[in-house]
Amino acid sequence: MANPILKIRNLTTRFFTEEGQVNAVESVSFDVEDGEIFGIVGESGSGKSVTALSVIDLIESPGRVTEGEIWYRNEALAEEFRGSRPAAVDGDFVDVRQLPEGVRRSLRGPSFSMVFQDPMSSFNPSLTVGEQIAEAVEVQRRARSNPRSTRSRTQGYGLGSLIADTLLPSQSYVSEESMERAVELLDQVGIPDPEDRADEYPHQFSGGMLQRAMIAQALAGEPDILVADEPTTALDVTIQAQILNLLRDLQEREGMSILMITHDLGVIARMCDRVGVMYAGEIVERGPLGEIFDAPVHPYTQGLLGSIPDVDDPSTRLEPISGNVPSLIDSEMPDACYFADRCPKAMNDCLTRIPEYELDGRHSVRCVLAEREYDPTEAIDSEVLADD
Amino acid sequence: MSLSRFLIKRSLQGLFVIWGVITVVFGLRFISPGDPANVLLPPDVDPEVRAQVIAELGLNEPLYVQYWEFISGIPFGDLGLSLVTRTPVASRVVTKLPATLELAIAATIVAVIIAIPLGVVSATRRHEPADYGATVFSLVGISTPNFWLGVMLILVLAVQLNLFPTSQRPIGIDGILLLVLDGDLGAAADGLGTWLWHITLPAITLGTYFTALITRLTRSGMLDQLGRTYVRASRAKGLPETLVRYKHVLRNTLIPVITVIGLQLGTLIGGAVITEAVFAWPGLGTLIINSINARDWPVLQGSLIVVAVGFVLVNILVDALYAYVNPQVAYD
Amino acid sequence: MISERTIRNLRRELNRSFLAKIGIAVVVLIVAMAIFAPFISPYSPGQQNLENARQPPLGFSTKETKEVTKMDNGSVVIEDGQVVTETQTVYTNASVAHPLGTDGNGRDILSRIIYGARTSILVGLFGTSLAALIGVLVGLSAGFYRGRVDDLLMRGADIMLAFPSLVLAIALVGVWGQAQAPIPDPFVVSGIAPAFRSAIGLSTGMPDTIVLPGTVIVVVALVNWVWFARVARGEALSIREEEYVKAARALGASDGRTVLRHVLPNAITPILVLATIQVAAIILLESALSFLGFSGADVSWGFDIALGRQYQSTAWWISTMPGLAIVVTVIGLNLVGDWLRDALDPGIEGEGGV
Repeated sequence: MANPILKIRNLTTRFFTEEGQVNAVESVSFDVEDGEIFGIVGESGSGKSVTALSVIDLIESPGRVTEGEIWYRNEALAEEFRGSRPAAVDGDFVDVRQLPEGVRRSLRGPSFSMVFQDPMSSFNPSLTVGEQIAEAVEVQRRARSNPRSTRSRTQGYGLGSLIADTLLPSQSYVSEESMERAVELLDQVGIPDPEDRADEYPHQFSGGMLQRAMIAQALAGEPDILVADEPTTALDVTIQAQILNLLRDLQEREGMSILMITHDLGVIARMCDRVGVMYAGEIVERGPLGEIFDAPVHPYTQGLLGSIPDVDDPSTRLEPISGNVPSLIDSEMPDACYFADRCPKAMNDCLTRIPEYELDGRHSVRCVLAEREYDPTEAIDSEVLADD
Repeated sequence: MSLSRFLIKRSLQGLFVIWGVITVVFGLRFISPGDPANVLLPPDVDPEVRAQVIAELGLNEPLYVQYWEFISGIPFGDLGLSLVTRTPVASRVVTKLPATLELAIAATIVAVIIAIPLGVVSATRRHEPADYGATVFSLVGISTPNFWLGVMLILVLAVQLNLFPTSQRPIGIDGILLLVLDGDLGAAADGLGTWLWHITLPAITLGTYFTALITRLTRSGMLDQLGRTYVRASRAKGLPETLVRYKHVLRNTLIPVITVIGLQLGTLIGGAVITEAVFAWPGLGTLIINSINARDWPVLQGSLIVVAVGFVLVNILVDALYAYVNPQVAYD
Repeated sequence: MISERTIRNLRRELNRSFLAKIGIAVVVLIVAMAIFAPFISPYSPGQQNLENARQPPLGFSTKETKEVTKMDNGSVVIEDGQVVTETQTVYTNASVAHPLGTDGNGRDILSRIIYGARTSILVGLFGTSLAALIGVLVGLSAGFYRGRVDDLLMRGADIMLAFPSLVLAIALVGVWGQAQAPIPDPFVVSGIAPAFRSAIGLSTGMPDTIVLPGTVIVVVALVNWVWFARVARGEALSIREEEYVKAARALGASDGRTVLRHVLPNAITPILVLATIQVAAIILLESALSFLGFSGADVSWGFDIALGRQYQSTAWWISTMPGLAIVVTVIGLNLVGDWLRDALDPGIEGEGGV
């Protein structure tokens, strides 16, 4: 039986902007199991990147995770908080959201880490790549040598440290050992001449090489879960395959789990064990890769799969989903299935909010068609709905 | 391009600008109405005496000879003679230089020490009282003419409350150093106290605009950097917030701020001129104003050359520091 | 030239920013004050009244002790062959007639501030326009022709930048003298303002000319054009590479026409933003020149601050009031500049100042 490392329950993230409240992530639940790659696929604006950032606790103002639990399996943490925060502990799992701020931060690196879409903007342009990776190593090294209670004092860094760090190599935040480890990591992700390249600046790297370096940086803390947010979108097609292979190899070698966020069904098909389809901030269908691809239930999943060309049968016409990605502004969201206005099979039943139906233990879907057949006599004109 | 080649290139550019500055200052002579002889001599002077003076000043030589005379002495510190006192311009400028330099440096130090932490606090505590305070301060600071600020400081702190002297510079850093060299440490300490007491108001006067400007630049630069993806990536890899803020964000913010500080040094010297006028501070500014009032053109020309060349040299220095802190500029 | 999108951005940013509204209100107020000075000024700025000298502003009074000759029944008291003196305390109270007080010669400070606005605004506007004209011409040619023209013009700009603007301005005004051009004040010459004033019972005899400080305008333009040249050059360099500009040139449009039709309209936004900031910088520069006595203007905020210094122990308001006028005006202009910059995002930083 599969063993989850991460159980996300009813995760809800909202942005409080001048234009109104934006419901970017709406009651999302899924599990990530040991050593698997779980994919989240959706159009841009479906909330998949915000989901990734919510999991790793990097939502910034004006956004906030307003509800939900992030259960993370970690025996040591569970033991530590069993007495002081019983509500945050369940067996070997802790709810990350209920842990103190400092503890949550300390999870970034050794528990969760992240690979971003655009490597060029995800590295600081004015520090060498090697130093930035070494920082990630160093912060874990210092964390191991200091108990958490004294950490804030030993990790202080202020204006004086900046001046010393900039002008005197001996005062650098990163140690020699961390630099050496950074070079090792660069070597592991397949960067040739890692020693020389560690001393180069991000703009001296190609996009593909820099994304490898970003992966090396994410591996520095030996994370349990790697969140990869569109890791190949900014890259050339030929490079994309190399990066995906690298991620797959590393995942197998390190035995970590990957949460893969992408809009590209090809990436999902190639990489993932299980997949969740996101639409308008919700996971509308979730299950093992084979079931989702072979027997999709939700009309949105069907449409998404219909909009990619079939190599075996080039004669089939592509069916793009009509209509636009919906607004996520709270006041404009209908009290109905969010997909109803674009759905070719919308019925009267779709005019209320739809719960998640479990088809079997591993496949669930947020659509009335899980329980009943499509009946054309009950169809509503989706065009009319869209005009509301 | 390597760092040293970058610096050589930058220095050559600087030399060209210095040459241009000297040439422009030389040209100043030709846009002034009337010739210098009229300044020196009464209008009803004997034409023979007049011709003699003109010959002595070299004003009847061909233009290129005059230009060569003017420019050839400068590398050796020869800036000509004052029309009024007939003493070398260079020595007059050099005796006035320390007063201006110590004023400008004091103002810069005060500005940097106050402005950078203020800008950081303002950017990291957005929409809190500290941020509003810093924003209002920097808006008022860049909008206040410094001579008026000086007049107001004298009015309140010197005249009404009698906390500071209204003017004068009884002793300078150069004088204090001489006392130290003489081994008279007691007198040197007294001198330092006197110096601090006298320089406080002029330094605040000169430094306020600068403080406000750097606060503003630091705040907006930091807000810009805080929104970048690399900040999020740094947090994702588990760096403590202080490390993200200072080592990454502030460092990247200060790189352009340093350039602006370099560019604004001209403004600082301009401000020093008028601050000196307010506080009767015996520096280069006072010399420039007096030389204009006395129509003593060589002194004015010499002062302009020293100011502009100083500005160019400081900017080369700033660029070198910039290239050291941020080596990627040398590669672009 | 100004697209609908630009106007929409301006309006949105204005609705969002309280400070921008204050800035616009201040600038409109000061400009209106300058234009309508002969209507609203309580007195002529030069009208002296030595009886009434150093009257404090509303809300304040002064107490002065002085030695006076002792008088008894209208005759001087003499004791031991000496004229006897006594100390007398003199109170001076504020009056509504002079809400901001009077200066050392009994001139009304409010009137001088209202007329001083004219000097500041005139120098600010004309100086900035001239600087923009020179700078944009130089910058557009440098950016459009690139190569040697560019090198030459931009090295020239570097040389200009090596001189601190105030120092260069002092030197140029010092060398050139202080030419001023009196131009007739249309409101006074046409008789509208005097008629209005007598109708509402204000004193007449307002100055019938506006003094245009010619040298100062030329000098502030000469020391500030470089900023415009830099911005215009940058815009020209980037716009030159746009496809439609290449197409226009390929179709045989003349250089002048290409620059006027395509390059200039695109460069206008950053130049406008820079101009707003430069008006503030030039007003500060003018006040500094006047303070030092180099501008030749006798009704100017900077000049009045200098005049007030000799009374700093007895009449603080003479220096204080015109300075406040400068600060308020420059804050207003900076707020408008911030608003334009935030709304139009031209990618430039403010430069200049005293």
